[in-house]
Amino acid sequence: MSLLHSYVKVRARERGRALPRATVRHIHLAEAPMVFVPLRLAGEAAAPLAAMVGTDPLHPTLLVVPQPRNRDLRFQFLADLGAVLLPYIDRISRQVETVEAKTPFDRCLDAPQIVVPSAGGVEFTAKLGRSSRFRRTTGPYAVEPAVPMLGRWLTFLAEQSEFAGSSLMVAMTDLLTAHWVTGQSAPEDGDLAALLGWIDPPDGMTGPEAAALADDPLTPPAGPDTHPEFDRQELQKAIEHYDVTGSTDQVEQALHGQLRPTWDRMWQAIGLLAALKESPGATARWERDRVHVAMHRAWIDGGGLPQGKRDSAVAAAKRLARLEAAQQSFEATRAFDDPLVMAEYRADGVAFAGEVVAVDLTRRIVPPGGKREVPRPLVTIETSDPVRLGRGKKVRSPSRPRQSATITAISEKIITVQIDDGMGRGAQPAEGSVPGVGTVICYTELDPGESRRAPLPPREETPWTHGGPPPEYVPTDDDAMEPWS
Amino acid sequence: MNRLDGIRGGTPGQDHNARSIAALAANPACDRRAILDAAAIDKPLLMKRLRFDDRWGQSPFAIQRNQQFTDLVKANGAAHLLRLLRELLDLPIEEAGYVNLEDVGGHEGHLARHGHTRRVIKQTAEGLGRATILDRPLLRLDVAGAQVYLEPDVIAFQLGGMFHIVAIKSFAILDDQADTPKVSAAAREAAVYVHALRDVVGRDLVSHDVILVCPKDFTNAPTATTVDVRHQLVTLARQLSRLTRIDALLDRLPEGFSLDLETLSSGEIEAAVAAIPARYAPQCLSACELSHLCRKEAHLNEQVDALGRIVRDDLGGIESVTTALRVATPGEPVADDQAEIAERLRHVARIYDEAVA
Amino acid sequence: MGKLRTAIRQATAAGRHAEARALRARLREAERQWDTGVEQPSAQPPLVPVREQVHRALTLLGAPTAAKMIVAVDESFFGGQMANTQLTSLRRDEEKSYRSAPGARPYYLCAALTSELLSPARGLLALSTWELPQRIIGPLSPRTDFLTSAIRLAEHLMRLESASTGAFRLLGQLAQNIPGGGDGFGPADPAKVIAAAGAELAVHQERDQMDRREAAARAADRLKPVERLFGTGLKSVRSA
Ligand code: SF4
Repeated sequence: MSLLHSYVKVRARERGRALPRATVRHIHLAEAPMVFVPLRLAGEAAAPLAAMVGTDPLHPTLLVVPQPRNRDLRFQFLADLGAVLLPYIDRISRQVETVEAKTPFDRCLDAPQIVVPSAGGVEFTAKLGRSSRFRRTTGPYAVEPAVPMLGRWLTFLAEQSEFAGSSLMVAMTDLLTAHWVTGQSAPEDGDLAALLGWIDPPDGMTGPEAAALADDPLTPPAGPDTHPEFDRQELQKAIEHYDVTGSTDQVEQALHGQLRPTWDRMWQAIGLLAALKESPGATARWERDRVHVAMHRAWIDGGGLPQGKRDSAVAAAKRLARLEAAQQSFEATRAFDDPLVMAEYRADGVAFAGEVVAVDLTRRIVPPGGKREVPRPLVTIETSDPVRLGRGKKVRSPSRPRQSATITAISEKIITVQIDDGMGRGAQPAEGSVPGVGTVICYTELDPGESRRAPLPPREETPWTHGGPPPEYVPTDDDAMEPWS
Repeated sequence: MNRLDGIRGGTPGQDHNARSIAALAANPACDRRAILDAAAIDKPLLMKRLRFDDRWGQSPFAIQRNQQFTDLVKANGAAHLLRLLRELLDLPIEEAGYVNLEDVGGHEGHLARHGHTRRVIKQTAEGLGRATILDRPLLRLDVAGAQVYLEPDVIAFQLGGMFHIVAIKSFAILDDQADTPKVSAAAREAAVYVHALRDVVGRDLVSHDVILVCPKDFTNAPTATTVDVRHQLVTLARQLSRLTRIDALLDRLPEGFSLDLETLSSGEIEAAVAAIPARYAPQCLSACELSHLCRKEAHLNEQVDALGRIVRDDLGGIESVTTALRVATPGEPVADDQAEIAERLRHVARIYDEAVA
Repeated sequence: MGKLRTAIRQATAAGRHAEARALRARLREAERQWDTGVEQPSAQPPLVPVREQVHRALTLLGAPTAAKMIVAVDESFFGGQMANTQLTSLRRDEEKSYRSAPGARPYYLCAALTSELLSPARGLLALSTWELPQRIIGPLSPRTDFLTSAIRLAEHLMRLESASTGAFRLLGQLAQNIPGGGDGFGPADPAKVIAAAGAELAVHQERDQMDRREAAARAADRLKPVERLFGTGLKSVRSA
């Protein structure tokens, strides 16, 4: 968050319509993303109630648990969900290319992408994964083979979604708030209907008017929690009807009514995002996603065990470090890809932009620790940004991301940077390797180069070439038979 | 006290429970909430009279689940609870007494039941009797000068003369982790009981560590942890003492102020509510029944607060949307104390426009 | 079951997945009932009236017990089928019957009395044929009664030639809350349960008996016969 963001919020409020927060799309959007809108039974940790799922906006698959307290029906639901998701994941993840490198590695040609309405949907998906990945397919309490397999993939996808910029499993409200600014508060932005109301209101309505409809009792919540009144007035009766008659009609009808509006909004939102051009960083991150999927695929096919219940202390620390690295790299890349994002950093003084007013091309110095004189030209920029960077700070410019520079002097409105590399091997800087007078240029302390030092793959996917994975959590009989009530 | 009853008029007051009292502390700066709660105004009814959607109910499935789990923990003389306390606190095996304080024969009035609770708890504190687990105590709290009885939805437990509150909740502890907001809510509620129990036996005899009993993982099997509620106790005490000074707030209301939901028209109710200053913030949405009303009002008044704490802090003292946009416009006159923020806003306005263009 | 299987195949073939799923669950339920039926020939309950079902369960348990537990014991030890709700008004009906013709029946399902106030203990059912101390609930009684019942269920299981898995499971659930009684996983070991429960019972029994005898004497002294069975205070009789 930045002052710019707060300012734009105020402006959106006054205008009655969301304003852009990005000029390009910072996530990859699959050609046919798998939309997954799950609902759970109130009061239960992970009792699935229903889901609408599929890749075709016009023909969603509706899955329901007509009696959510019946354990067999819950696992049947998971098996049915597996029957939709697993073929999709398998089809995509089985097409693999080998990337030539010092250590060649595999990468899927494409990757699955699951879109859920909100962060709550991701969390619930993780719980579904946790509740099903240890299940056995033989012996007492046996479940269909699809169940544990689905559990492992759902766990994998939910874990990946914690990494900033991963597009494998994404929450729609997060995506939308990363690309638009509404005139309502963050908790209200967590409601897909209200959020979309601000961004893309129906004809003839303002954002706040459309958002207010989200509070209408007739607008179902986007889940995973249902409206208590719906539970009381419709669902309870429908379930009783099933208990008495064995017919799932009423439950299906009731839940369809709750899911369909959200389903349609999901595709409306996908349409809005698709209209934005994908950023180069998003494409690069998707490549990494594809590597991760290939690794997980290989891990499963190689007979690897399901993910453990908890990380060991060491694994947890490593994971945290990876999450942080991904976050930093994502933020920097986003700013380099998008002047509107960079503007937030300029507003906060960690980036500045302005016109080059003087260049000293001939300056040569002996760098600290060096022996020979090398060219270190100085570029002086005039800016009106409130810069908070100090002398000696390493900076980079989005227009020349591979060249580093150092701030050598700074006074009100006038900043001088020394160009440190990327000027060729000659005694003089190569033609065009130093920004010329009159150029408008932006410098920042952000360094998307972090992404070149890509975060290590998750523990269970440590390639064999790197010594193989550390000891794994081995599920026990108790895990497999864990009662589910 | 009389003034508060006068405000409520003939409409029955809303009963307090641990949840509603815990919620008092959610927005301590709000006069509106303080007065409505002190006068025991039925807030859901108020909202219904003003035609707002009621979103505060609990799902019947959640209620049922909670009841089932509570019954399980308490079944067979609280056998599960006893096991958990033995594991968690090394409760000696001899300490197995269970008393249901609801068993009071024919006298079922609040006062009689509370008296019974007090008597048994005091005896127990003095080392008389054999009660270790005291189920369903009816505790009482002073809220704005009124004595409110708390729903006896809790267990008190005594070990070596020291009492603990046991809260049974049906949200799962999954792989040793529970949902933080749910644990905080449970801690706030438990703090209300700790506070009320301290009123009976004295401050030093009730532990600030409450025992939280929840289902483990995806099972029904109960598991227990201790939760430190010191912080919640401080917040609660502060808010309760604020309510005892309610007179100062009432003095600012017009003469003959009434919020009698049964006799006033909806227009009159709206006007009466509007006469009490509010402090709306988006956090109200999950803490106060009036939030949709206050939000609407805050937006009508173009309050920056309604956009969230970050926006409010960023705008450093500018209170309205219009003012913020005006000072961000070059050439507009600016008050001295807003000169700095105005300059920064003009800068962001310019670079935003540049970047979008 | 055959019919169910056919229906599932038809539903699956027609793409009616939800229906097929529901049918499948019903099939499993049917199979499960079939299994228990095979295991325990008495699964088809003869038409025993509810009060007799409660009576036989209480006789086995040997202590005042809550409705839920009575239902569970009846189901897993006698193959009976009762709903909790069938027991709610039982105590009131018994009291009515007793009042209209005291002693006309060989036994009544009555209340247990709290030791302090001699009021009916909430939710517990007892037998009129038990000695008064047995029907008194002092602070330690819920625990001693629980341990006593666990022992009696375990002894019963040891006597039986074959018992249902449900009975072993129920005992296992009780045993996990008795120190050294079992971990709650897998079927219970009756001998172990008896030893563990007996050990804890020995700790409480003397003090509990003292409380009970003292209160029973008080009750015999002060209460009318009907009150000795159903407690004092008409109002509170309503919650059985
Ligand atoms: S919703 Fe309104 S009354 Fe309630 S705390 Fe917030 S501002 Fe006060």
